[in-house]
Amino acid sequence: MKKLMVFAVLLLAFSGMLFAGGAQEESVLFEDRFMDMSWNDIVAEADGQDVFFYMWGGADHINNWVSGYLQDRLKEKYNVNLEMVPVDGAPVYVNKVLGEKQAGKNTNGAVDMMWINGENFKTMMQGQLLFGPYSDKLPNIKYCNPDILGYDFGFPINGYESPYGAAQCVMEYDTEYVKTPPASIGELFDWAKANPGKLTYAAPPDFMGSVFVRHVFYYVAGGYEKMMGPFDEAVYNKIAPKVWDLLNEVEPYLWRQGKTYPESSTKCKELLGNGEVHFNINYGPDGATNAIRNGIYPDSVKTFLFDSGTIGNINFVAIAYNSGNKAASMVMANEILDPEVQYHAASPEGMSWLTPIDLTTVPARVRADFEALPLDPSRVTTEELNTHKLPELQSDWLMRIEEDWQTFVLRQ
Amino acid sequence: MENVKQNNSRNALLFIIGLGIIIGVIVPIVPQLVWAVSHRWAFPDLLPEAMSGRAWKYIANPNSKVLSATLNSLVIAICVTVISILVGVPAGKALGMYKFKAKGAIELIILSPSIIPPLAVTMGMQVIFIRMGLSDTIFGVILVHLIPTIPYMTVSMAGVFANYDPAYEEQARSLGAGTVKTFFLITLPTIFPGIVTGAMFAFLISWGQYILTIIIGGGRVITLPLLLFSFASSGDFTLTSALSIIFLLPSIIILVITSKYLSGQSSGMGGFGNI
Repeated sequence: MKKLMVFAVLLLAFSGMLFAGGAQEESVLFEDRFMDMSWNDIVAEADGQDVFFYMWGGADHINNWVSGYLQDRLKEKYNVNLEMVPVDGAPVYVNKVLGEKQAGKNTNGAVDMMWINGENFKTMMQGQLLFGPYSDKLPNIKYCNPDILGYDFGFPINGYESPYGAAQCVMEYDTEYVKTPPASIGELFDWAKANPGKLTYAAPPDFMGSVFVRHVFYYVAGGYEKMMGPFDEAVYNKIAPKVWDLLNEVEPYLWRQGKTYPESSTKCKELLGNGEVHFNINYGPDGATNAIRNGIYPDSVKTFLFDSGTIGNINFVAIAYNSGNKAASMVMANEILDPEVQYHAASPEGMSWLTPIDLTTVPARVRADFEALPLDPSRVTTEELNTHKLPELQSDWLMRIEEDWQTFVLRQ
Repeated sequence: MENVKQNNSRNALLFIIGLGIIIGVIVPIVPQLVWAVSHRWAFPDLLPEAMSGRAWKYIANPNSKVLSATLNSLVIAICVTVISILVGVPAGKALGMYKFKAKGAIELIILSPSIIPPLAVTMGMQVIFIRMGLSDTIFGVILVHLIPTIPYMTVSMAGVFANYDPAYEEQARSLGAGTVKTFFLITLPTIFPGIVTGAMFAFLISWGQYILTIIIGGGRVITLPLLLFSFASSGDFTLTSALSIIFLLPSIIILVITSKYLSGQSSGMGGFGNI
């Protein structure tokens, strides 16, 4: 009797496995068939799906836009349910997807779509954690200049990401203390020597501190051109020692005599807000606008660009390889690039967001709307940003610069 | 005369302790209360430049998920506390009152989650939870919170039971009380302060959990600490302070409600002893 029971249980378990296997073969995975689907088919499949959108959740105006305007629009237009998942940084969801892959959860993962960029994108590509190539299937990708779809921090995108917003470094300064902003890194350092203790930058590898040091590299090298492409030891060795000399020369005139550097860009913002320093570098041209709105900066803070330009880049969305809602995620990625949505994102009611779409490709009416957007007093114009945009270095340059800064500047 | 002197020095001691509590516990909260309604409060200024209801408006907006995250945190913490009590009281009784084979080993196993740093095992736990289909669910988050809370509950109950005098139970039984009556009239009131202490630990550990929640809940289960961390890392003091106040409320409420159980000693127990 007992033996018979064991046998029955085994048989049941086995047939269960067979059924499960059979069911999987029956429905072909989305990634294996979406290439042959029309956009309308994809939209039809997205109907009723959820999109769990993992993103950095530290800015209330961005959270409000995603879980307000964008969520409502996707629901009404496509019956897609967008669920914002605000966390404190991209590594959280990179690890989440990685953990699922290690556990063998290759379908219906927790993460559908992610707000991602640079290093984290590279990590996910190397771990084969992303779905794609999908971006050339998006009808609205035509609004993007192909230039921005090639590389993300020097790492080839190959259609595994689609643009979400644009960002460009700006220098922020307090007009209460500084009347005319400096035109170059050299002038900025001259100003620092005349006004000791009123300039600082976050210690790399902080994201903003690192980008500040890259601007010093471009300044010393007399342009970005020599440093494009993969890491080149010979070129680096020609430029880097001069950069460290320059940074060490200005160090005694920095905040707290350069004996210490702020540990984060958040701290740098606080110092500018409190009037302890008078300059800061920020990644978004609207960063100062938001900081003023949230009371972190006084109203007297304005922004400027160096004459030789500032580094700009694009931030992207990507879809997890094991998302169970890839059709809806693609619909969302596409909708984000709709000129109307980008206009709302760029407006003050939205996020005062810098758009990644090429305004020469959009209908004249929409372009006029964009051009009529009110410019916050702290902002430089979009045209000035566009004409002063410098490309980003590849990430192996970044890592070397960050490492050597620690050795040659911090510990000097 | 001697008595008055003693009383005086005792009062002075109480005053110093009270002052210490006020400076150490209450004063740090005051700037937070102010921040939560300030627009801008720059470093050397004594008072904010302007007030603002921005943070509270954001919190009240359902899109921000603050209220639903608070509810999630509450449900999880309450479930964790109840389960911890159900597991920890019998376990504590066994460890505190009885001698049995391999007691030392079992103690070590029960205590190990509080000895091993959770970060060291989270990756492995994540894989196991995913394979069992428990990740990304509230149930999974409750289970994983039990890992650090059960040791606290068990240890505080074992301490209680180590000093517990079973003679009181025997006396009640000899006077005619049944098992149930004995439990509610004798056992429970005696061990209640221990349960309160352990439950407080369990609730607060669960309420403040970040790493375990994010690893197992994976963002699908959003709790208050997750939102708090996002804003704390972005330097938005107004919103961080407002969320911190919500975050602090249960701790204060629990402390006020339970404080009377923590001060006195009950007759059946001689204080917190060793296991």
